Amino acid sequence: MIRLLLLVLMSLSAAAQAQLMIQVTEGRVDAVPIAVVPFASGGVAVPEQVDAVIAANLHRSGQFRPLPASEMLSRPSRAEEISYRDFRVLGSEFLVIGRVEPLPAGEFRVSYELHDVARGVRLIGETYQPKAAQLRDVAHAISDRIYEQLTGVRGAFSTRILYVTHNRGADYPFQLQYADADGARARTVLRSREPIMSPSWSPDGKRIAYVSFEANGMPGIYIHELSTMQRQLVSSFTGINGAPSWSPDGRRLALTLSRDGNPEIYLLDIASRQLTRMTNHYAIDTEPKWLPDGQSLVFTSGRGGGPQIYRLDLRDRSVRRVSFEGDYNSNPTVTPDGRYLAYIHRRRGEFHVAVQDLQRHTFNIVTNTVQDESPSVAPNGSMIIYATKHGGAGVLQAVSIDGRIKVHLPSKEGEVREPAWSPFFQ
Amino acid sequence: MSAFASKSLFAVLLASTLVACSSKPTDDQSGDLQSGSQTDSQTQIAPIQDQAQQSAISLTADNFHNHPSNYDGTTSSRVIYFAFDNASVPAAAFETLRAHAVYLKGNSNAKVRLEGHADERGTREYNVALSERRGQSVEKFLRVQGVAASQIEMVSYGEEKPAAYGSDEMSWAKNRRVELNYVSGRP
Repeated sequence: MIRLLLLVLMSLSAAAQAQLMIQVTEGRVDAVPIAVVPFASGGVAVPEQVDAVIAANLHRSGQFRPLPASEMLSRPSRAEEISYRDFRVLGSEFLVIGRVEPLPAGEFRVSYELHDVARGVRLIGETYQPKAAQLRDVAHAISDRIYEQLTGVRGAFSTRILYVTHNRGADYPFQLQYADADGARARTVLRSREPIMSPSWSPDGKRIAYVSFEANGMPGIYIHELSTMQRQLVSSFTGINGAPSWSPDGRRLALTLSRDGNPEIYLLDIASRQLTRMTNHYAIDTEPKWLPDGQSLVFTSGRGGGPQIYRLDLRDRSVRRVSFEGDYNSNPTVTPDGRYLAYIHRRRGEFHVAVQDLQRHTFNIVTNTVQDESPSVAPNGSMIIYATKHGGAGVLQAVSIDGRIKVHLPSKEGEVREPAWSPFFQ
Repeated sequence: MSAFASKSLFAVLLASTLVACSSKPTDDQSGDLQSGSQTDSQTQIAPIQDQAQQSAISLTADNFHNHPSNYDGTTSSRVIYFAFDNASVPAAAFETLRAHAVYLKGNSNAKVRLEGHADERGTREYNVALSERRGQSVEKFLRVQGVAASQIEMVSYGEEKPAAYGSDEMSWAKNRRVELNYVSGRP
């Protein structure tokens, strides 16, 4: 009896957690109904609920509406068990079935199939053989395959988010962490008594750069290799050492230094440590980000009075203004195809994420949160993750480029800020 | 030096005139003022002039940076506040900064770190740059008074180390600041 009660409690708390993980505050009206049937495991306990991770991923993309398992009329795990009719009557357009079978030596065999319910055909299917610790990676990989098959866009569920947390009163209030794109498996890279800022990924996802004030409260830019946890201090000049951004070829960092008296954009060649100053203006120049061509940067400059976005051509160092709406635009970032610019825009004293189409010259405010900061784009260009305030605490949210999908990301302890979405791995 | 003093006095007078003309005191405001100036027992033995000066200007977020109650004119005052979107040293802080300058000039072993801060609005690295401007204003003030460059170091924290954690005008006013922290030869 007690054991049964415990089981019920455990499943209840699992359900509550799953709800926290996926708060799609605004999804697409035309989100595609899909049924992810709980994967069969032959009654054996499996450390990760692969099907639940897949369903949550698809839901969080805002483009799919998974059918609750409780509403399913049947729960097939093999193609020959499927009655398409059972899913047609519930309006599901697609169906995911699968199995997780324990093997000797702590491994599992995970297989899945994606079916088109209307046509009654199998679209794709694969089998993986992970260790227990890799079950979640497999769930993300399957989510990527399903997403790509149904949307034509590469899935970004196997990517990671790097971010800074702040817990006032803790021994080490500042932490640099990264987690799976769904917020699970958070790992700490660095903890400090002094602020940590502006994390940036190398294009291969193996290294990160960030600003840390750990050295006697003074700022330094560090490069940190994630697999070995080895790091090096690459910039600690007098004044500001800030806003590192990795070049698309991985060889250089764009950064901000005020060693000459006011903030200017520099390029640092990582191997030779050679520094080249790229801007020269008495106003503030900071927050550089690379365009995908590796030939130009966008950055924030106060040279027009208030902060606005400018574009710098690295070949001739020419600078031209890009943003023209309103009197405060800052911290730009670029989509991987180079078409859209996302940045923070102030309107009537409120700070929102805005998206500017560099081809069609349109401008849209895409969030209704009011203290937005630090936009970062997913490597498939689908979503922008950003930091904002919710109930007085710093939280992460995501929004689609067109603003139609809004997702509240899992809350962590304390403040979460400065998200940086990783590139695709390998 | 005397030019600064008269300017400072003029600013205070001007501010009090403006407040007297424009503000409509309510019960709430006078309540704030009471708690602001008379909470601790020391206030009872404060000079009368000081009390009169403080009660003339109510302490609001708008005038917080330039409010006399934030500066005692000695090296005990170690935080200089700034107006929104502004890096100018407020007149009410002149006397305090001159006291620091006098101390630094008389104690060549003393070294002060100017820590610039911004409120939370706007983006983080831009705020680091804005807070550097505030630190530079204070540095310039001290240098004009004859303090050696070697006795001053600077760091800019932007919005990373707030003094007040609320998201309201008064918290923001308390966070737009430069702290003078002595790394050696503390007065």
